[in-house]
Amino acid sequence: MARRVAVCAVAQTGFVSNMWQKRFQQMCFETVESIVKQTGVDWNEETGIRNIVTCSDDVFDARTISDNGITDAVGAHFRGEEKTAQDGINAIAYAMACIMSGHDDVVLVVGHTKESQTESRNMCSNLAFDPFYCRDLGLDFEKGAALQARAYALKSGISETQLAKAVVNARRNAAKNPLANARELVTIEQVVNSPMLCDPIRTLHAYPVSDGAVAMLLAAEDKYKEYTDKPVWLTGWSNCMDSYFFGDRDLASNFSLKKASAAACKMAGVSDAKGAFDVVEINDAYAYQLAMWAEGLGLCDENKGGEWIESGILETGKINPSGGMLAGNPIMIGGLARAAEAVVQLRGEAGERQVAGAKRAVAQGTTGPAGQHQAVMILEN
Amino acid sequence: MAKYFDVSVEDIFNTMEARFRVEGAKGVNAVLAYDISGDGGGKWLVEVRDDSVKVAKTDDLSGFSVKTSADAETFVGVNIGKIDGTQAFMSGKIKIEGDMALVAASAKMFTRYSLPKKSAVTVQGIFDTLVARFQPQNAAGLDISVGYDITGDGGGQWTAVLKDGKCALETGLRDNCAVVNSVKAKDYIDLILGKLDPMVAMGSGRLKLKGDMNVAMQLPKIFAKFEPPKEEEEQELIVIKRNISVDMKYSTGPVMGKFFEGLIEKKILANKCPKCGRMQVPPREVCAECRCWAGDMIEVGPSGTITLIEIIYYSSPDPLTGETRETPYAQVHILLDGIGKEETFWHLLKNEDLADTKKGDRVRPVWSDNRVGSVHDIIHFERIRD
Repeated sequence: MARRVAVCAVAQTGFVSNMWQKRFQQMCFETVESIVKQTGVDWNEETGIRNIVTCSDDVFDARTISDNGITDAVGAHFRGEEKTAQDGINAIAYAMACIMSGHDDVVLVVGHTKESQTESRNMCSNLAFDPFYCRDLGLDFEKGAALQARAYALKSGISETQLAKAVVNARRNAAKNPLANARELVTIEQVVNSPMLCDPIRTLHAYPVSDGAVAMLLAAEDKYKEYTDKPVWLTGWSNCMDSYFFGDRDLASNFSLKKASAAACKMAGVSDAKGAFDVVEINDAYAYQLAMWAEGLGLCDENKGGEWIESGILETGKINPSGGMLAGNPIMIGGLARAAEAVVQLRGEAGERQVAGAKRAVAQGTTGPAGQHQAVMILEN
Repeated sequence: MAKYFDVSVEDIFNTMEARFRVEGAKGVNAVLAYDISGDGGGKWLVEVRDDSVKVAKTDDLSGFSVKTSADAETFVGVNIGKIDGTQAFMSGKIKIEGDMALVAASAKMFTRYSLPKKSAVTVQGIFDTLVARFQPQNAAGLDISVGYDITGDGGGQWTAVLKDGKCALETGLRDNCAVVNSVKAKDYIDLILGKLDPMVAMGSGRLKLKGDMNVAMQLPKIFAKFEPPKEEEEQELIVIKRNISVDMKYSTGPVMGKFFEGLIEKKILANKCPKCGRMQVPPREVCAECRCWAGDMIEVGPSGTITLIEIIYYSSPDPLTGETRETPYAQVHILLDGIGKEETFWHLLKNEDLADTKKGDRVRPVWSDNRVGSVHDIIHFERIRD
C-alpha cells in the first residue's frame, strides 16, 4: 500500500486584477515564505524540502521554460524542481506521486500566473491553438468556452436566470473571502443585462483578469506531524484529456471530466458523488461551467445543472465557498486555488465562509480549450 | 564540383537560361552580377534584355546593375529554397550592391531551380525482380537457358535457367543458352519500361538476339511486365509563416525597480542579502542561497574589471523586428567595484575596444543622455585606458 499524503499548509496571495507592484517572482516568494512560517519546514536535503513542483505558463510569463526564471523565488536553488503543464492541480498530483512512491517525504508545490502582464489573456490562449488553422480563425479559450456554452445550453436548456444565479452565488461567497478578486455583490438583473462578451457569454459570466500565486506543502503520513497537527489527506485523484480539435469532440458531453471524476471517486472509495462532499470547489471560469462541471463531477443528473443551481444547494454555502474561479483566479492555477480552499475548509480555517463540520471535499481543475484537460482531487481530514 | 544540398553553383547558372520566364522579365533591362565565394564559386554575369537572357561565367563583373555576393552554400541554399533569403541577407551572409529592387524582381524572371529527377530503374533492379516475374504456367515443358548480355555502364551478364516450371537466375552467361539478348544498359531499361519499341531496337541493331527466335518471341509471356518502383514525388510542401506577438508589461517590483531608477541617476545599484552579505546585480528580490528577502540596496561600480568576454560574429535576428545587430560585437561580464564576491554584471563592450580587450581589463559605463530606467541607459562599457 502506497503511503498516504497529507497537505500540511497552504498559502495564497490575495487575487487581484493587476498586481502591478510585484514581479511574479515576488508573488511566488511570498507564498513560500508563508509556508515556511506556518510549518517551520526547512531546506535540509535529508529531512526538508529537496523537491519543488511548480506550475506556470511560458506565454503568460513571456519566457520559454518559465520555471527557470523562478527557481530562487520558489526555493529551488541547488535542488530538484519540476514544472507541470496544465492546471496547478496537476502539480499537487505530481508532488503526491513523489511522496506515494517513496521518492520524497516533503514536497513544496508553487503555482503562479500574472494575467495582467499580458496585453490580453485571450491573445495568450489563442497561442494554445494550432498555429495556422484554429489560431487564424481567432479561437481562444473565451471563444472556445462560448462554443461550449452554446452547445451545453442547447443540450441542457439552462436558462439566463440560472446562469446569473451562478454568478450571484460566486460573488456572495467571495464577499466572505478576503483573498477573492471579484467581491462586489451582483444581482440577477445586473448579470442578465451585462453586455454580451461572446454570445452566449456575458461580461459578468466571465472570470475577471487575475493575478496570484498559491503554494502548498505536502508530506508523507509518517512525516506530517513535524509540520502540522491539522493534516488534510489527499485521498483521490485523476485526470483525463479530451481531443484537442473541437471538431473531434462533443463539446457538451463532459467526457473527460466524467472519466476523471469516476476514477478519483474510485480511488477515494466514493461510490456516488451525489451528496458525498461537504465542500465542492468547481473550476468555473465561465458561469455555464458551474452547472456543466457539476454534471460532469456527478453532483447532479445529466442536463440538470441548471435545476441544480436553483435547487437551494448554492444557498448552503458548500458550493465554491471561495467564490470559485468566477470570483477571480488566474488561468493555470484555478484548480490549485480550488484545492487550496478545500484544504482551508477541511482545516476549519475558512472564517466567515466556513462550512461547519466539513469532512470531505472535491476540487476540480481544468485547462485547455473548453475543458480539454480535466482533473479531480478528493481531500479529507 | 562542390555540391551543397546536392546542387553545385554551376548547376544553378547552367540552368538559368532554361529557367528564364519571358513574362516575368517584361521591360527589364539589367545586368545581374554574381560573386560567389568558396568552393565551387565563381563570377557570373546574367544579362536580361526584355525577352532574352544571357548567362556567362566571367572574371570581370564591371557594369552591373546589381551585384549579389554570397558564399557558395548560401547561394545554392537560397536558390533551391533550403535557406531563407531574407534571413541570409539580414545576417550579412548575402550582400547586395546596386539596385536592390532587381533582386526581388529576379525571383519573377526565373523559375526556381529543381533537382533533376534521377531514374530509379537500374539493370540490376530489373534482374532482381526477374524470378518473381516468372510465369510458370507459360513455361510448361521448357528446359532452356536465356542469356542476357547487357553492355555499358550499369550492365552485366545473367542467365535465366528455366526448368521444371521453375526459374533460377545466375550471373554470367551459360554456353548453352537457347537465346542471348545483347543490348546496351540504357536501351535495355528503355525496352523494359516500354520506351523503346523492340522491333525498332532490333531493326536499328541496338538489340541483338542470338539463337532460337521462337524462344525469344515467347519471353514477354514467360516473364510478367516489369513494374518500376513508384517514384517518390518530391512534393513542395507548404510552409506557413507567422509572427507571434503579445505585448507585455513587466512590473519591476520594489527591488529591480530601484535598480532601474538608479540607472536614470547614473548609479548602479546591487541588492544585498541580509544573511550572507552576497550582492546581486541586477538585483532580485530573493537571495537564492539563503531563501530570504534581500531588499537592501547598495551602490556599486560603476567601474569594474572584465572577468569574461565573448565576441559574437553571427547574430540572430530579433524575432519581432527582424533586425539584426551589427557584428561583431562583444558581451562582457564585469566584476563591479565594491560588489564583494564573484557576482558579475554583464553588458556590451564598446566596439572600438573589441580588438585589444581581454579578461582583467578595467572598464567603465558610457551613459546615454536619454535615460529612462532601462538597460540601455548604459550604452556600453568602455576600456579605461589612462
